[in-house]
This record gives sequence, C-alpha cells and structure tokens, in this order.
Amino acid sequence: MEPPTAGSPSPVLRFAVLLAVALLAMAAAPAERWFEDVTARAGVAAKHVNRTFHNPYAAIMAGYTALGASAAVADFDGDGFEDIFVTNSAETGKNHLYHNNGDFTFTDVAEKAGVADGNDAANASADALWFDYDNDGRPDLFVVRFGHSQLFHNLGNGRFRDVTREAGLDRYANAITAIAFDYDRDGDLDLFVGGYFQPINIFQPTTPRFFPESFETANNGGGVTLWRNDGHGHFTDATREAGIALSGWTLDLGHADADGDGDDDLYVACDFGTDRFLRNNGDGTFTDRTRETTGIDTKKGMNVDWGDYDNDGWLDVFVTNITDDYMREGNFLWRNNGLNESGEVTFTDVSRETGVHDTGWGWGAKFFDYDDDGWLDLYVVNGWVSAGPESYVPDVFAMITRPNVDLTDARNWPPMGNKSLSGYQKKRLFHNQGGFFKEEAARHGLDSTRDGRGIAVADFDNDGRLDLFVANANAEPYLYRNVRPAGVHWVSFILEGRKSNRDAVGAQLRATAAGRTQLRFVDGGNGFAGQSSRRVHFGLGSAAAVDHLEVRWPSGLRQTFDKIPADRMWRIVEGERDLKPFSPEVRKK
Amino acid sequence: MKRCWIFALLALCLLPAAGAGSFDDAMKAVAAKNDAAALPLFEAALSADPDNLQTSNEYRKAVIRTGEYDRAVDFYGKLTTAHPQAAFAWLNYGYAYVDKIPAAGSITQVILANNSLTNFTKSIDVKRSWIALYTRGNSYLYWPKIFGRAPLGVTDLEEAVAIARKEPKRRKVYVRSWIALGDGYLKTGEPEKAKAIWREGVQLFGNDPQLQARLSREGEELEKYVYDQLDPNKRVDTNLAPLWEGE
Repeated sequence: MEPPTAGSPSPVLRFAVLLAVALLAMAAAPAERWFEDVTARAGVAAKHVNRTFHNPYAAIMAGYTALGASAAVADFDGDGFEDIFVTNSAETGKNHLYHNNGDFTFTDVAEKAGVADGNDAANASADALWFDYDNDGRPDLFVVRFGHSQLFHNLGNGRFRDVTREAGLDRYANAITAIAFDYDRDGDLDLFVGGYFQPINIFQPTTPRFFPESFETANNGGGVTLWRNDGHGHFTDATREAGIALSGWTLDLGHADADGDGDDDLYVACDFGTDRFLRNNGDGTFTDRTRETTGIDTKKGMNVDWGDYDNDGWLDVFVTNITDDYMREGNFLWRNNGLNESGEVTFTDVSRETGVHDTGWGWGAKFFDYDDDGWLDLYVVNGWVSAGPESYVPDVFAMITRPNVDLTDARNWPPMGNKSLSGYQKKRLFHNQGGFFKEEAARHGLDSTRDGRGIAVADFDNDGRLDLFVANANAEPYLYRNVRPAGVHWVSFILEGRKSNRDAVGAQLRATAAGRTQLRFVDGGNGFAGQSSRRVHFGLGSAAAVDHLEVRWPSGLRQTFDKIPADRMWRIVEGERDLKPFSPEVRKK
Repeated sequence: MKRCWIFALLALCLLPAAGAGSFDDAMKAVAAKNDAAALPLFEAALSADPDNLQTSNEYRKAVIRTGEYDRAVDFYGKLTTAHPQAAFAWLNYGYAYVDKIPAAGSITQVILANNSLTNFTKSIDVKRSWIALYTRGNSYLYWPKIFGRAPLGVTDLEEAVAIARKEPKRRKVYVRSWIALGDGYLKTGEPEKAKAIWREGVQLFGNDPQLQARLSREGEELEKYVYDQLDPNKRVDTNLAPLWEGE
C-alpha cells in the first residue's frame, strides 16, 4: 500500500468523501420525484361522494353511477391565478369553487359566489365547464348534471347568477360531459353536451329498461346535444340541423381541427359501443366519418384528448378504454396520418407501438409536457370501483352469458354490493421520449390507487411548471405540485379573441425554437371530467427563446411573432401587433 | 384395443363418404377462389356426413376467409340438432364460435368462448377423444384468471396427454397437448410442473419451437410469453389438417 501523500486524501478521508457522496445521493433521491402531493395543505381535500339513489333499482344503479368527480380550471376573478371548480355528487353534497390565493393555497368561495348548490334529490353534478359564453372577458360556469344542468353567469364581483332558464338551457338530460367551441365560427362559443343514459328521469324511473342494450353496439344512450350560441346570451338546440344524430352512451367529447381546414372537428367517446368522428363541414353541419377515419369499434370509450404527441404538425387523439384481465380492449392512440388522396384525414391506432395501450379501466387522460422538453407527455387515471376483496366480474359475466338476457332491463343486472370491479389500479404517467412513452408514475409519486376520474392541468403558481388536479370518485382529490428542477425553459400564452370568441378556443399556435416546431391549441374542455387551463404552454428544453410563433385564430386571421423570450407568460390579443407580458401583478394594476 | 378403435373411428371420420361429390365440388370452388359458392357445397357434404373432420375443416377455413361466421354457427346448430351423436360435428360447432372470436368485441368474445365450451363438452359427452379433450382444455386456458377455469383445463389436458401417451404412434400433433398442459400448470401456479412437462415434450417430440420458446424463458418473461400466446384477440389456430397431414 502506498503511503498517503499531500496530494491524495487518506483512506479515511476517501471513505468519508464517498460516504458523504452516497448520503448526498440518497438525499438527492427524493428530488427525482417531480410532483408533490399538496392536497391537504392547499385546502382542496374535500371528499367527493357518489350519488345513491332511492328507487327500485338503486342497488343496481349504485354500481354504474360511480361518477361525478370532476374539476374545471379557470381564472374566474381575473387575478392572474388559476382557480378550480370541483364537483360533488351526493344529494346534500356541495360543489366547491377553490379561489387560488396565489401561494398554492385555496379558499372555497362556492357558497359566497352562489355556485355551491349543484346537488339535490332531482339533480346530481357530473362535470363542469368554464366558458365565456357572452364574450365579456369573464369565464362563466356550466355545471353538467344528471337532471337539469346549470349555467352561471359570472358577474365579475366574485358572484354568479343562475341564467339557465333565460339562456334556453333548462332541459332534463343525464348529461355527463360538455365542451364549448365555435363550430360555426361566428365569434361565440357553442355548447356540446354529452348524455350518458337516455333522457329519462333516472332518479325516479318509470321503466326498468334504461340500461344499455348491448355491451358493444348500444345506441340507447343520451347521445350528443349541440346548443348553438345566438350571441345574445341565448342558446338554441341545433343538433338536428347540424347533422348530429347520435344516441350512444357518451362519456366524453373532444374537439380539434383534425384536418387543418380551419374549423374544429369532433370526436365522441362512447361507452358500450362505437366512438364517433364527426367532420366539421365548415357550413354549420357535421358529417359522421367514423368508418372512413378510424373504423367501427366495439370498445368502451371513456376519454378524449387531442394533442400532437409526435410533433408532426397534426393533432392526434388519445382515448381510454377498458383493459383488464377479463376485458382486454386496449386504449386508442389515434395517430393523425394527415390527409389521404381524397383530402380526408385518417387515423391509425399506435397505442401498442408507443407503449400506452394498457392503462387498466381508463378514465381521464391529459397530454401535457411536465418536464418541458417539448414533447407532450400523458397522464392517465383509472379504476372503476375499489371496494371489498370480492370481485364483481363473475357476477356480471354470469349475466352476460345468460341466453337471451334483456340487458336494457336494470333488474337483470346484478347488484355490485361491496364488491370491487377493476379497483385499486395504479395511475400512469407516460413520459414522451420522442414519440414513444415510458411509464414514470411511481417515480414521480403519481401512482395512486384511488378511483380516478378527471384531470385538470394548470400552472397554479405561475412558475412555468404544469401542476395537476385529479378528481377521484368517492374519495379525496389530489393536487400535485410540479417541482421539477430548474434549468429547462418554457413559455406560455394567454389569448384573447376579438373577432374570434374571446376565450380564443380553437386557436392554434405553432412555436419554433431550436429548430423544432410544436403545435398546441386552446381547447374548450377536452378530457373526461377535467378541464385544464386554456393557457397555451410550450416546453422549450434548452432553448431560451421562441424563434418564431404563428397564431391561427378561429376567425381565420394569422399572426406571427419572432424572438420571444422564454420563461414567462405572454398575452396575445387578436389583431394586435405586439405581445404583452402577463403577470398577476400586471393584471391587478 | 381402445386406441385402435379411436384411430379407426378417426380414419372413418376423415373419409369423405356420401357427400363426397359435394366436397369435391366445394374444393373446386375453393380452388377457383369462389368461397361463396363453396359454402353451400360444403354444407351439403356435411349434412350427409356430419362427423367428417376434413370437410368441416375446409368449410370453416372458407368461412374465415369470407367472414360468414354467423352462417357457420347457424349451420352447425342445425347439423347437431339433426345428428346429436355426431361428436365431431359438436366439436366443429365449438370451433365455429372460436373462429368468430377475433372479429368480435371483448364482451361478445366471452359469450362466444362460453358457447364454444358448451359444444366442446357435448362432443366429449358423446365421445372422449384426444382432439376434443385437448381443444376444451386449451380453451379453458384462454379464460381470465378470475373465472377459475384453468384447473379445469389442466384436468382435460392431463387426460389428453394420457391418451396420447398410450398411442402406439407418436403423432407430431400431440405435442400441442404437452405445450398446453405446461401452460395450464403455469396458469395454475405450478411453473416447475410446467417446465417438467415441456421437457418431457422435447424428449418425446424433439425441438418443437414452441416448447423451446417456453423452456428458454424464466419467471415474468415466461409468464408474459405464455399469456401473450393466450390472447383472445389473436386468432386461434383451429386448422385440424395436422391431424391427417403427415405429422
């Protein structure tokens, strides 16, 4: 052994250094976790409670209505911080409007604002949607319900007024989802509402025959209703004249300009049967092009989210289905192939090849770039009912294999009781590695086993990192703060339409930085039971600026901007030449 | 003696009999790539000779090519009603449901699989044969664990292997029952028994690639491989030709 010299540390010192390095490495390990559960200390931990029914079919219905946990994000008071509306479904349960205090804590102001009462004996909250239906610059609130949905006008003083009846929206439906976009490009947001059960009063049904007629081709559900905004605070049912004739068991709706023709098309995810792709014809009508674009499926569509996951300039679709030991459907990741020789968009399911095929009994799923590397990642929540150790699967399959069973008759369905069905499933976070995904939920602490339903993505503390709010059925939600290490760049844009709808829903942004172009768009509530921020966020990786930005407004106007510094939020007003820095302070002034 | 009886019966079942004319005409139509014309001719042949495995096999192949799954199911329903003692008609009735599975949704797949099992059982009730026991046993393995059907599959496959062991001639097609029995052991949590039966299969049948694929894997990799083989979304090979084509 050589004696230690002045220039080399002694063995003891070497050991100490190694130990210190090892300890530092251990201490550093938690930093690898980029999401922190802050639900309780943020003050948003109120539990969602499923609706229970009081009718002859209540025991059966309980197993099929474990729904209604949802979250919708918007800055309702214009203070520059994103707020959250969260639904409950219990008969006496209150909905929550969590006002963002700006320090990653929230205060429930729903009662004061007049939006807490979303549940009673004849109505159950199922989802929520913020949209500025009157273009006054203040997000209004649509509460989607089994029963009569509610439209609340934002008065601008922290209070809301129920305008459902005067807006023409007072109609019974077993509504489960809603999105808003300007399908006819007349400058205001129209409302698309998806119904699950057909519009019979499921609280006091007069017939037992209101369950799905088939597990794969059911067409006796609630379908889709299109409410056209007349621009004066009133909506008209335009479903039929728009050529929409759907009667499936709608679970989610998603809009985007799939074919690049300037108007937004519609993907409808249906439980118990075929999803639908409706092409916007640009003249106020849609055409069902399912067979030509995606083909006819027999799966259980749960969620629709659009995003350009492979950065090829075309918007793709992610749809969750059911994948479990007893039902191996697999999800859809519909890769947009662009236009074929006939000028029609087509899609190919690449879920297997990209690694996002199996997410269990999938529910809400959202594209978002959590590490700001310029590739859209994907978070998926799942799980139907997590109850006792016994499985409900044999019960339901005993019914299915019974000859000539009438599935529409609720009395033929076995009660679930305290049994579980695809319960205790781990949520999935897929990191996009250049068009292929690697599962990272456990690493980042996002692999909870509660029965997830909706996801809302937003930057709640305006630090440039995208946070997550997850609504869980019959359980507390999760608020995950993104704490990824510094060192990568980002930029986000808040758009204000002038000729276009004020929320700029449907606007597309193409940002080029360091030689790569990303496409993002303002969506009007895509994703099951979760509305994300309408701010448009780009992860830029090592690029400290956006070299070029193109904005395509729904009105048809195109604007370009060059050399936009990163790591801040910018406000873009339709038709105005310059970008304006956006910050909560500026908004307060 | 019993072994000889089984093979004599199998040989009889393979010989096109009264419906030979229709069978030949059907094969000519198939050769002319006119499956639509072949289907009624096969049906006529089977009506005259319901237990004929070769005719049923060619019929179902034409059905798969044309996608006329429901027609085949209807036909075998009527055929077995008219000939309730035709064990191989029942067997093919079961296959007609299996053939439709890849074209069906996940719930219909369960219903079809359940119907096929019912008909495989009818076939076994009429006559216990290697092919029927292997088929039903293998079918049980496709069912998800929650239904607890893998042990039933193991029972059938052990009997199929026992029948095959007693045969004087080691027909290559029998290796399938060794493979499937190992899969059954794996699905019922007995990986060592699985390995042992697969090793015995290698000794008896040589280096079958499916056996090698299993024996070259361990643990989770092996489980994943076997479970992938038992994916109901992939078409199950119901071609019975190896029974008579020089194996």
